Amino acid sequence: MRAFKRRRGMYAARLDTDERDVIAALVADVAELLGAGRLEARDPESVVVGDGNPRMRIEPLPPPSDPAVRRLLPDASRDDPQVAEEFRRLTEDDLRAGKIARLTSLWDALTTPTEGWRADAFVIAPQDAKDVAAAITDLRLVLAERLGIRTDEQAERLYDALLDSPQSEVEEVDEILDPAARRYLVAVYGALSWLQESLVDLLLHDLRAAGRPADQ
Amino acid sequence: MQTLPDADVAQEEKTAVADPWVTIVWNDPVNLMSYVTYVFESYFGHPRQKAERLMKQVHEQGRAVVSTGSLEAMEVDVQAMHGFGLWATLQRSGQ
Repeated sequence: MRAFKRRRGMYAARLDTDERDVIAALVADVAELLGAGRLEARDPESVVVGDGNPRMRIEPLPPPSDPAVRRLLPDASRDDPQVAEEFRRLTEDDLRAGKIARLTSLWDALTTPTEGWRADAFVIAPQDAKDVAAAITDLRLVLAERLGIRTDEQAERLYDALLDSPQSEVEEVDEILDPAARRYLVAVYGALSWLQESLVDLLLHDLRAAGRPADQ
Repeated sequence: MQTLPDADVAQEEKTAVADPWVTIVWNDPVNLMSYVTYVFESYFGHPRQKAERLMKQVHEQGRAVVSTGSLEAMEVDVQAMHGFGLWATLQRSGQ
């Protein structure tokens, strides 16, 4: 795996076949959690979600029961259930559809080679990079929820452990995941964090260059 | 893209009276500091300094008010933040 760099007017990283397969499978898992079905099995001709006509929900929509999905579609109020319920009723369908559409594009990008580039090139057009960064965020949010990362300190320990020795992190008690599964998710989380950071660096650089051509 | 006035604290308090609702972004252990800064710069159109100040406020104090306005306007901002994967809430200003 190599980080994103600017190449030939595009943002290009390198992912070998195994890395691509791992990330694509996670993308499909998260899209499925959001109600998309399996991306591998979808009919490319069909519209992914809904019929494109916005509908107003009349009935309240209960919050998702899976905490990972609830983190992707969070409550819009901490102390006013009415505000949270109203917001969810008005926005959740749109949010789900937007997240599924971005995950679907990412899945397509991961599973389709880019013509004219080496086989391991993962190539993103700059105008699509924001959506890719947001989709990677959703992947990391789900992994973090499954890994039980609740605090900045826990996240720091995880990064430290990845740097020191991939084995030591497994010492942490986990009641749900067996050590091998946990080690696997930690490695994927670390790789995605690193990949996202390189993409966001490019996005920030280009945003600032576009906004202030004169002095920065 | 929308822009907000680059208000200092006193101004923020004044607009809080005129604007009945605020959007709050909460700290989380997952989102990268660079990504949060990017969201504040690209979505709100904040200059780099203000975006970084708000990002640090979220990280160090656990939350920051990132926009103020009508309930409808704040719903748009909160939905956008959720789209980016940031956890945002709306509430009446002064609460």
